[in-house]
Amino acid sequence: MMIKEIITVILLVVGCFFFLAGTLGVLRFPDLFSRLHALTKADNLGLGFIAAAMALHIASPWAALKIFSIWFFTLLASSTSCYLIARFQKEKDQPSSRKEEE
Amino acid sequence: MDSIFIIVIVFLLLNIALGLFRVWRGPTVSDRLLTTQLFGTTGMAILLVLAGYLKELTLLNVAITFNVLAILLVICLFKVWKKKKGETP
Amino acid sequence: MSIIIDILLAILTVYLALQSLLVHRLTQNVFLFFAFGLALALAWVRLGAVDVAITEAAIASGFLGVLFLDALRDFSDTSSKKWDDLELVRNSLHSKNPKSLFLPRLALVLGLLLFLFISLEAIWKIPDGGGLTAAAEAMLPESGVEHPVTAVLLNFRAYDTWLEIGVILLGLLAVFTVGGIKIYRKPQAITHDPLLRQVILFSTPILFLFGAFILYFGKSGPGGAFQAAVLWGAIGILLYLGGKPIFTVIPRWLLRLILTIGLGFFLLLGFLIIASGGALFEYPPAYAGILILIVETLAAISIAAALTAIFANLNQMTEEPKESNQPIE
Repeated sequence: MMIKEIITVILLVVGCFFFLAGTLGVLRFPDLFSRLHALTKADNLGLGFIAAAMALHIASPWAALKIFSIWFFTLLASSTSCYLIARFQKEKDQPSSRKEEE
Repeated sequence: MDSIFIIVIVFLLLNIALGLFRVWRGPTVSDRLLTTQLFGTTGMAILLVLAGYLKELTLLNVAITFNVLAILLVICLFKVWKKKKGETP
Repeated sequence: MSIIIDILLAILTVYLALQSLLVHRLTQNVFLFFAFGLALALAWVRLGAVDVAITEAAIASGFLGVLFLDALRDFSDTSSKKWDDLELVRNSLHSKNPKSLFLPRLALVLGLLLFLFISLEAIWKIPDGGGLTAAAEAMLPESGVEHPVTAVLLNFRAYDTWLEIGVILLGLLAVFTVGGIKIYRKPQAITHDPLLRQVILFSTPILFLFGAFILYFGKSGPGGAFQAAVLWGAIGILLYLGGKPIFTVIPRWLLRLILTIGLGFFLLLGFLIIASGGALFEYPPAYAGILILIVETLAAISIAAALTAIFANLNQMTEEPKESNQPIE
């Protein structure tokens, strides 16, 4: 199954590229918010590609479903934590200007 | 095929090592908190690749545990630090 | 070729461990400790012990990281003056006469060498037959489960596991002793924060289901009571942080029952077995599977409640020390 292996390798390499992009973003960007933005988006996308590669490599449907649900839950969890960190930092900077939207 | 997996895992481990830099330099505590997210996501990726490399599917359970912990840490920091400033949660 | 992964992981783990001991800022320390826990979990996976990896990642780095963050909060509000004083003290320590630090350094190096020597000797003496693995797997059909680690933990060495549950309860008692049982303070406002509500809403069922899965997966794979208990304890912690601590809505006797049922039922089972003629915890092989399942479930509930209670009480203890003492009994 050469074609499957080639696709797996391509997906892995793309995933690694996105991970590298995320890490470089964390190191080099000037501000917390831009770092957070780079990290969350790039790392989760890289994780998605690696998850897809692994789901293709382990050719059992239950495993693929499990990997997909892991990735989905990670997406929810890290977007939430990204938002929480950003809000935490914003409130530390200006503690009294917070509007309660109800 | 296996060697590709090994290269990927080594690469991700180097990513973690690079991300450590932000724990020292980060001027605020939020910078250090976001490295937690980096470790969590990269750790999960390493576990996924290891699951394929070692052909041991139970590693996927470990991956979910990492994820849960990372978000628990963030929420805990957020709530616990906020309370000290006297604001209502 | 895979030795490269292991070398890199080993270097990373030791480096993180050293750094988490030596850094000056406490905030760095907590996150380095968390990263160290993750790296250690990966090392356990590489060593083939997936059970230990899950438990390590969950309790030792996750729960402890949360507790450390909780403790760190007290330092977050110190004025910058105190922080500068700390720095002054530390700097004056460093500028001391370096000769006076020679003896401690020598002792440290000698201690490290001794530790290295002992660990090398321990590794080289691994018996060729893999130790007790063959014996454990030979007895596996009689133990009621299909995973050797679970069989050892819950059947062959059930005494140790029972005592471990007791140790966690002792920790909770220690927290109670230091802070007092203030579980029934005035009800906290439920958070109106939409994001936090949403997180709690979607993660509670997922955590519950996944905890139950890990609990029952322990029969045939890595899993078991402790890992499931940490996941369920995470639900309790999240609910507490969201303003609805679950221990305020159940009556006190129920709380005590939940906390002690793991230990208690296990002990009761042991006594029943003794009464019917066997040794302590020597399960009859026909019922061993069911008994282990019940014991694990109750133990998981009990440990989860204990972890939540530890977090809740620690959180209360340092938060409002001048709150009026509500009558306990």
